[in-house]
Amino acid sequence: MSDSTIQHHEESRDVTFRVHRFNPQVDSKPYFDDYTIKLEKGITVLRALNYIKEHVDSTVTFRAFCQAGICGSCAMRINRMSKLACTTQVWDELDKTREPGVITIEPLRNLPLIKDLVVEMDPLVGKMKQHSNWVDSKMAEENWGWKEFLISEEEFLTYDKATDCILCASCVSECTILRANKEYVSPAVLLKSYRMNADSRDAIHDQRLAGLVQDHGVWDCTHCYRCQETCVKNIPIMGAIHGIREDAIERRGTKDSSGARHAEAFMDDIEKKGRLVEATLPIRTNGLAWTLRNLLPMAVKMIIKRRTPPPPPLVKASKGIQSLRKELKEMASHVAKDHEKKSGE
Amino acid sequence: MKPFDIVIVGGGGAGLYAAMEAMKTNPGLNIAVLSKIYPNRSHTSAAQGGANAALANKAKDDTVEMHIFDTIKGSDYLADQDAVEVLCSEAPKIIRELDNMGTPWSRMDDNTIAQRPFGGAGRPRCCYCADKTGHTILQTLYEQCLRKGVFFFNEYFALELSVDGSHLRGLIAMNVKTGKVEAFPAKTVIFATGGYAKMYWNRSSNAAGNTGDGQAIAYRAGIPLKDMEFVQFHPTGLRKSGLLVTEGARGEGGYLTNVLGERFMKRYAPEKMELGPRDLVSRSLETEILEGRGFDSPAGKYLHLDLRHLGADIIKSRLPQIREMCMYFEGVDPIDDPVPVRPTAHYSMGGIDTDNFGRTIMDGVYAAGECGCVSVHGANRLGGNSLLDILVFGRIAGRTAAEEASKYNPSPISEAEVAEKEHDLRSFMQPRGHYERYGSLREELGQTLGMNVGIFREASKIRQGIEDIENLIDRFQHVRVSDTGDVYNTNLLQVLELRNMLDLASTVAVGALAREESRGSHTRTDFPVRDDEKWHKHSVYTLEGGYPKLGFKLVTMGRYELQERTY
Repeated sequence: MSDSTIQHHEESRDVTFRVHRFNPQVDSKPYFDDYTIKLEKGITVLRALNYIKEHVDSTVTFRAFCQAGICGSCAMRINRMSKLACTTQVWDELDKTREPGVITIEPLRNLPLIKDLVVEMDPLVGKMKQHSNWVDSKMAEENWGWKEFLISEEEFLTYDKATDCILCASCVSECTILRANKEYVSPAVLLKSYRMNADSRDAIHDQRLAGLVQDHGVWDCTHCYRCQETCVKNIPIMGAIHGIREDAIERRGTKDSSGARHAEAFMDDIEKKGRLVEATLPIRTNGLAWTLRNLLPMAVKMIIKRRTPPPPPLVKASKGIQSLRKELKEMASHVAKDHEKKSGE
Repeated sequence: MKPFDIVIVGGGGAGLYAAMEAMKTNPGLNIAVLSKIYPNRSHTSAAQGGANAALANKAKDDTVEMHIFDTIKGSDYLADQDAVEVLCSEAPKIIRELDNMGTPWSRMDDNTIAQRPFGGAGRPRCCYCADKTGHTILQTLYEQCLRKGVFFFNEYFALELSVDGSHLRGLIAMNVKTGKVEAFPAKTVIFATGGYAKMYWNRSSNAAGNTGDGQAIAYRAGIPLKDMEFVQFHPTGLRKSGLLVTEGARGEGGYLTNVLGERFMKRYAPEKMELGPRDLVSRSLETEILEGRGFDSPAGKYLHLDLRHLGADIIKSRLPQIREMCMYFEGVDPIDDPVPVRPTAHYSMGGIDTDNFGRTIMDGVYAAGECGCVSVHGANRLGGNSLLDILVFGRIAGRTAAEEASKYNPSPISEAEVAEKEHDLRSFMQPRGHYERYGSLREELGQTLGMNVGIFREASKIRQGIEDIENLIDRFQHVRVSDTGDVYNTNLLQVLELRNMLDLASTVAVGALAREESRGSHTRTDFPVRDDEKWHKHSVYTLEGGYPKLGFKLVTMGRYELQERTY
C-alpha cells in the first residue's frame, strides 16, 4: 500500500498533527503548525508525517531511515513522551491526547535543536567517547582473529538486554537530571558503560568506573525511572544504573565519593531509625566545610520559611524498627553468601 | 587544502570496517568517513539473522570448502570462484575478530560462538546474536571506530566524484546541517553506501535511504556497474509494510503454509523445504499466490509463516525483535497466530564492478559491501553471506586503499567546480516548467519495477518497465524542491536520492531485458532455463550518452564445474 493512496477499508477519521516548527534561518523562536489529514486505522505516526511532507508541506523536517524500529533515527516527542514515530500507532496516540483528535509532535529534549524535529546528536556521542563506551579488548589487536573468547551464556545474559540499545536518545530526552544539568552523563551512556563493564573481554573496567563516579556521573541519578519507562526497547536502564552503583561501592568502598557516602548515610539512618535524619545528611555526604560553604544560604532561607528538617535528637526511631533491623540483617547475610558463591566460582 | 589519504563514503559495516583496517594498516593516514546519517543508524543494523563462517562450533564436520561450494551453487554459478574463496576462508577469522573486539555473539553450551542453520547452507554455520546480529555488529564497529578516533563527517550527502580526465581529485559532498557544498580532496575514495533495492519503494524491505548513492555517483563518473539485474526478493516480508522477517525464523524451524494449510515447499524443494535458497523460496511463494493458493486481503495476497509450534520460549528468546515487529506492524503475535508474509525486494547482488581487492577501473576509487560487486553472490546471495561480505571486503578495501594511497597525488578541486555543484542544487529550487511531485515519481518507479522487473520477468513486461523509467526520467526534469532553506533540507535530499535511483533503475531493466535466460534471482518466464553457453557471464554497464551501454565479463571459474542447481 502506498503512502499517497492510503485506502479506506477500515475505520478512518481526521487527525490533527500539531508539529513543532523551527528554522534557524528565519525563525527567532519555535512555533507550532497544525496539519489535519484523513487517516485510516493502523497507520504509524511516521507514515502520517511522511504523508504530510509529501502532500501538504514539504518543509516539515524530521529524521527517518529504517522504518522498522531498529535504526533509532525517528525518535521524537509524541504527545509529550519520547518514542519512535515508526513504531507508534496513530490510533493508540489518539487515546492519549489532551485536546481530542490533536497529536502533538515535538523534537527530543535535552539535545540542541537544529530544525523542526531534528536535534543534534553530537553531545551524546561526545559522552560515549568520554566514558569509553567500547570494549577495550584484553587481547592485543595484532592477535585478533585467531581465537574466540569463551563466554558463558550466563555472562551473555547479563548484558544481552543492554545491547538492544539503538541510541535513539528517547531516555536522554526524558531524563529529569539532564533537564537541570546538561553535563550529566545521561542514561544511555550509563547503560552502555554498564554493558562494557559486565563484559569479561574488557580490560578497562576500573578506569571506566572511576570516570563514572565523578561529578555529573552515576551518583547524580535520582531514580525517577523516566528513562526506563520511556525506553523503546524496554531495557531495564535503572537496573544498569543500580548495577554500576553497587559495583562502585563494592570495588571503591563507601568513602569513595559523595555519592557513595550519601548512600551509606541513608543506609545508616534506615538501620538506626527507620527514617532519614535529613538535617545532617549533607554534612555526612559532603563534609562540614562544603555544607557551610554551599548550603548555608539555603539553610537560612529554610529557617525563615520554617521549612527546616527536625534536628537529629527529635528524629525518633520508627515503630517496628526492631523487625526492620532483623530483616536488614538477614538481607545482609544473603548478600554476603551470594558474594562468597560468586568469588568461589 | 591537503588531500585526505582516504575518504570513505558510507558508515555501515563495510565503511566502518574499512576505516578501522585502514587505520590499523597505517596509523599515520588522514582518513575521513562521510555518512548521510549517523553511522550507528546504517542499514547494517537491520540484518537480523547472522553471518556465515565455517567455525565448526555446531557441526564439527563443517569446512571452509563446503561454505565455498554452497556459496557458488547458491550464486547459480555466476559468482567468481576466486572471490568466493577469499570470502569463505576469511570468514572464521573475521567472526573471531569481531568476538575479540566485543561483539556479543550468542553462545553454545561449551561457551563458543553459537551457530544456526540458514537457507542454502549444507551445515549450520550462521553465527548470530539473537535476531539483532547486524545491529550488534554495527554497534561494535562504531564503538571501535570511536575508540580509535576515526574522523566522522556525519550527515554529509555525497554528490559527485571530482575527476580530472580519468584521475581522481576527490569527492564533492553537501553538509546536510548547513546546506553548504564542500570539497573533499582525496587520494582515494571508498564507496560503501549499501544497496539499491529501495528503488522498488513500497515493495522493498530496505531503509528509506538505500538508494544506491555510491553506485549512481560512480556510474556518472564513468565507472562500470556489474550484474545490476540481479535483485533478490526475500520470501518473508510482512504483508502490509514489506518489512522483513528474518530467515532465522525458518532456521529455527518455522513453516510456510498456504490457504489449504499445506507446507507447500514440499513441491519446490522437497529436501530442504523452508530452508531452500531465497530465490527459490520467493518464486515458490509467488507461484502459490499466482495459482490461487494464497490468502486474500485489502493489503494484497499473502501466505503464512507459522511459528506457533516453536513455542513461546523459543520465540521470545531467539526471535524477540521479530515478535515485536509482527505485533507493531501486523498486529499479530507469532506465538498465537501465523504471520502474513509475501516476497519483498531485499538485496542487490549487483553494484560497482570491483576486483578482489575492492579496486574499480578508476585509480584510487574502491567499493565494498552491497555497494560493490566483486562478485561473491553471483545471481543469488545466500542468507548470512551479506554481513560476511561487508566485513571481509570492507576490511580488504580499507587495507588496499591504505597501502595504495601514497601512489596518488591528486590535483586540487577548484572552487568553480564546487560553486557549480552548489548552483545545480539551487536550480532544483527554481520553477522548472509544469510541476511534478517527487513523491509520486518515487512510487511509480517502485510500482513499475515491482510489476515489470520483479520476481517473474518477460520481454514485453520489461520493455514496458524501460519505457516507464524513461518517462519518469523525463518527468524528473520538472521536479521542484519547494523547501528553499539551507539547513537540513530533507526535501532536497529526497529529490537527489530519487535521481540516483532513476539512474540505476535503467541499468536494472536494461540488464533484465538483455539476459535471455533464468539464473538465480533473475527469472524470465519466456526463457525459463539457465543458458550457460550464451549467458554464463557478468553484465557490465557503462554510462554512454545518457544510456547504459551493456558489455560482458567472463566469470572466473575454479574447482567447481557448472552443474544443475537443485535443492
